[in-house]
Amino acid sequence: MSDGVGVACRESRVGAFLNLRGDAADPGFRNVAASVTGVELPVEPCTWRRHAGHAAAYWLGPDEWLLAMQNGVGVDLESRLRDVLDPRCSVVDVSGAHVQVELSGEDAGKVLQKSSPYDFDPRNFGVGRCVQTVFAKATALVAAREADAFDIVFRRSYADYLLRWLEDAAAEYNASDGRSP
Amino acid sequence: MLRIRCPYCQEARSEEEFSHAGEAHIPRPANPDASSDAQWGEYLHLRRNPRGPHREMWVHTAGCRRYFNVLRDTVNYEILATYAMGERPADEPEEGAL
Ligand SMILES: [Zn+2]
Repeated sequence: MSDGVGVACRESRVGAFLNLRGDAADPGFRNVAASVTGVELPVEPCTWRRHAGHAAAYWLGPDEWLLAMQNGVGVDLESRLRDVLDPRCSVVDVSGAHVQVELSGEDAGKVLQKSSPYDFDPRNFGVGRCVQTVFAKATALVAAREADAFDIVFRRSYADYLLRWLEDAAAEYNASDGRSP
Repeated sequence: MLRIRCPYCQEARSEEEFSHAGEAHIPRPANPDASSDAQWGEYLHLRRNPRGPHREMWVHTAGCRRYFNVLRDTVNYEILATYAMGERPADEPEEGAL
């Protein structure tokens, strides 16, 4: 996904999000969730797993995950999860609340490093990890997809601010915003 | 700037990600209707405010959003331990030291 030099930032095709809560220690819950979503829920803190295609399951907390998938898939998945999950579990469609962007390129990691107090050095933040942290003056979920490609999920109400922030932060690395050639 | 280890994320994170949430381990009166005004007032308002090690709650606001416990020295801000809800610190100091 890397565009080589510089940094590219574009809105992801992932636009459907489900918030899933349940007991990570309960194998029944994990098995049911895995059979419906097609991916094992990550139980290791601050990690994520990829579904088929662009979708993913992110660890948000010891009993909470974010399922991200392409537009249009979420509603179906939500109802299928509701059908099989124990009523004490929670599944909520939060698509309207989130925006996902892809930040890629040789210097993408440097843009993260100057946007957050979290240690985004590749020795600490390798492929497969995800963190929720302070990002600029807002918060975001950042996931390492490849060594120089990251997925960033943030609240829609911050989208304008954070996209401007990313554009400005990436400017010194010859950023392209994905809209211009 | 403090570095605080979240027991759920299992990582030391910047203080910016956290919010302080007051003294920890304050038991709610088991039967509020039967407690006196003095007991209820003590539960709601009275805090230890010690000089030295203090057990307190923090919340990982920008991270996993979980509440957890911190044993922090109020004199030098040193964080002696962090531990999940429902636990006690592994290296708990003598009661007299608190
Ligand atoms: Zn945490």
